[in-house]
Amino acid sequence: MLPWTGVPPRAWTSALLLIAGVGGLALAVSAMFGNTGINIATLALLQVAAVLALATFSGNSGIVSFGHSAFMGIGAYVFGVLAMPKAVQASALPNLPLWLQGHQLSLVAAMLVVIAVGIVVGILSGFPLAKLSTGSAAIGTLAFLIIIHVTLIGARDFTRGSQTFYGVPRLTTVYVAFIAAALFILIARILKETPLGLRLRAARENEVAAAASGVNVRMSRHMGWALSITLSVAVGALYGSFLGAFSPKDFYFDLIFTLIAMLIVGGMLTVSGAVAGTVLLAGVVQVLRQAETGVDIGGLHIPGVFGLPQLGMGLALLLTIWRRPLGLLGLSEIGPDWPRRKLEPMPGEMLHTAGGGASLEVDQVTMRFGGLVALDSISFTVPPRQVTGLIGPNGAGKTTLINIICGQTRPTSGHVIIGGRDVTGEAPNRMAVAGLGRTFQNIRLFDRMTALENVAVAALSKGHDAATARRVALAELGRLGLAARAGDLAGSFAYGDRRRLEIARALALEPKFLLLDEPAAGMNPAETDALIRVLETIRAEHEIGLLVVEHDMRLIMRLSDRMVVLNKGQKIAEGTPQEIRSNPAVIEAYIGTKRAKH
Amino acid sequence: MDIVLQQIVNAISLGGIYALLALGLAVVFSIVSLINFAHGELMTVAGYGMFFAAAVSLPFPVAVCAAVLFAVIAALLTERFAFRPMRKADATGLLLTSFAVSAILRVIFQNGISARPKPVPLPSGFAGVIDLGVLRIGIVPLLSIVMTALSLTALTLFLNRTTLGKAMRAAAEDFQVLRLMGIKANRVIAVAFAVSGALAGVAAVLWIAQRGSVDPLMGFVPVLKAFVAAVIGGLGSLTGAVAGGFALGILEVLFQAFLPDAALPFRDAFVLGFVILILIWRPDGLIPAPVARRS
Repeated sequence: MLPWTGVPPRAWTSALLLIAGVGGLALAVSAMFGNTGINIATLALLQVAAVLALATFSGNSGIVSFGHSAFMGIGAYVFGVLAMPKAVQASALPNLPLWLQGHQLSLVAAMLVVIAVGIVVGILSGFPLAKLSTGSAAIGTLAFLIIIHVTLIGARDFTRGSQTFYGVPRLTTVYVAFIAAALFILIARILKETPLGLRLRAARENEVAAAASGVNVRMSRHMGWALSITLSVAVGALYGSFLGAFSPKDFYFDLIFTLIAMLIVGGMLTVSGAVAGTVLLAGVVQVLRQAETGVDIGGLHIPGVFGLPQLGMGLALLLTIWRRPLGLLGLSEIGPDWPRRKLEPMPGEMLHTAGGGASLEVDQVTMRFGGLVALDSISFTVPPRQVTGLIGPNGAGKTTLINIICGQTRPTSGHVIIGGRDVTGEAPNRMAVAGLGRTFQNIRLFDRMTALENVAVAALSKGHDAATARRVALAELGRLGLAARAGDLAGSFAYGDRRRLEIARALALEPKFLLLDEPAAGMNPAETDALIRVLETIRAEHEIGLLVVEHDMRLIMRLSDRMVVLNKGQKIAEGTPQEIRSNPAVIEAYIGTKRAKH
Repeated sequence: MDIVLQQIVNAISLGGIYALLALGLAVVFSIVSLINFAHGELMTVAGYGMFFAAAVSLPFPVAVCAAVLFAVIAALLTERFAFRPMRKADATGLLLTSFAVSAILRVIFQNGISARPKPVPLPSGFAGVIDLGVLRIGIVPLLSIVMTALSLTALTLFLNRTTLGKAMRAAAEDFQVLRLMGIKANRVIAVAFAVSGALAGVAAVLWIAQRGSVDPLMGFVPVLKAFVAAVIGGLGSLTGAVAGGFALGILEVLFQAFLPDAALPFRDAFVLGFVILILIWRPDGLIPAPVARRS
């Protein structure tokens, strides 16, 4: 299966439009300003490629990287050493080890080696990075920037240290730069729609919900990073070959600042935004660079300001974050919705609905936080094809129990068993794949993705390819009455629809069990009635076991086949709704004893 | 023995500066989730404060106060005019805001003052050495350790004994709840910035005491180190920041002392590589910040 299987056709259209736009602008600038224009166009095209390399990771994962400029430096130096003419190399790098001497590779051969180096560097550097939380990861990339910078300066035999590294053949013509930009636009645009792109974006929007939908967040970030670094190293080589002579400071803070400003001003969530921001700021910087030394306007001399391009980009960055936090182009990619190929929902009989008749067992689960016993040896079973209600007053331990069942917390002792398999303490994404779908008390959706993408992320976890996942997603949306809004952003949905979308996403996991955490919280009676109908349909159509945690007594009594009551970390009752209703211990827990009332 | 003690003193004095800076970052981060790139420019402002005070021939202690005051004012100004308008932005937006503010301030220093280093005269006694028989300690490292200890003590007292300090610790744990308690958010945030500015000011004085000049890029490198220290300690954790600062200082001195000469130019790469190993082992840092988690 090809990586681009199932990518919506309009993604190709918008990529081609962007390529045409960038190419047209480059042509116009080259035609207007002659040789200077060609230089400007080449640089801008390389910047488009560099920004998209950065966007591949930062845009999709939401983690801003400060390290990419240094990785470009790796590409430039590797390319330089490999492609340098023998004679120049002998004088510029007299201490170069023998195995690196005199290769004098062609552009294509050198690029192939550079890309191989990029893949290795990307995979290795991704190990620590993928483990860090969002904020720490940003600083981790900063550490890479410094490590690489210090190493480039220190490695005098290979790089001439902080001195200028010269003699790199200038093979990056405007055509080469255009091919790179076009290729990168295509890669970045298509990646967004591939399984990896969907998973990265889901984790960006809501890491917990992504894991609950079966996404291995760490692995996705690692792959995204490795790809992005490979692209950066490659474009760095071309940039080095464009410059011809450079030093480590050319790949340090000024460069990454420029790339980040370009990415943010246009909008890092879309490829169109990244490209537009780059082109816009490339133009602004050219103008400011002219003005840096001072300008004469009609006899009036305006003195120059050193660092004017930096100042301009800084202000552009501030203005963008202040007025248009999503960038100039916001959330939408440019291009018409064409060619329109209507997505056929997966036919109902093709959807896997059978829960397989497995039970979810909670076996003597105990949880202690220091001296506090939050759960004391709780055992119960959630049978298939039934609704089990879990109730209890505030502080009963319901949330702790759910977190244990979903793999967010490891219990102090005891086991969670799905269909005979002990899954205690497995990561939430493993639980999701093992057959546990869930919704959250305070709804967690991937707000800046479409409803279809929200559900497709979960469907991917069942091993479908992107095309099938989208069809499954459309079918699940249809079942919950949301098919008409498949293309709308989840963030635009009203409360009741958000809840249903979350349920559709959980069902796309084809779960054996569905865990609903206070599904009626914050709903009015009409919405609650609608929800009850949805849940009754699910129960009729899917042969799965439902575990519903709820405060709304009317809902839980009507829906449940069996109920489990927790109070202060103890299971105080279990039985049918009728039994629970008349159980003295339950009444006491909820209303208090007579003595307590007086 | 002599050299070992000497290195320990170096490690503590260097680590102390990193600790002060990392703590300043952590105080702000724990409350508004801002990783403040412009923290280095607060140091630079403090440095220029010293330079100006010396230029109008104010005595040295006054110059030190001026430095801290300049940094506090600069911190409050950046908060009021750059970060407060962006409060709705997410953590990434805030980080990028500070990134832009830092770049803009550097351009302003370069054009408004000078791109070249400006000398800051230090009292003649600073070059001296105290001889303790077994141990000869430079005045500067010694002062550095004393100032760090005083600052940390003062901050601890402030956080534990005063209402405002307690409000700030509470804000670091759960800012939303604090607001529900009727504490004015703007005031707590402004105080957090003021504290971080003061810490940057003290750190700047100690930094300048070692090099005797200030330039537009002065704060850049130490604050990069402080970022790393804050992450080693656990981003947003105050005790973690101090621990991370000292850990980084010790690492740097150790690598400086034990790396072979050929590898010395790569010292920072080794140190940071080691830091990355620490983070693979403990991704949330040595002393992780408490996280209010709700399902």
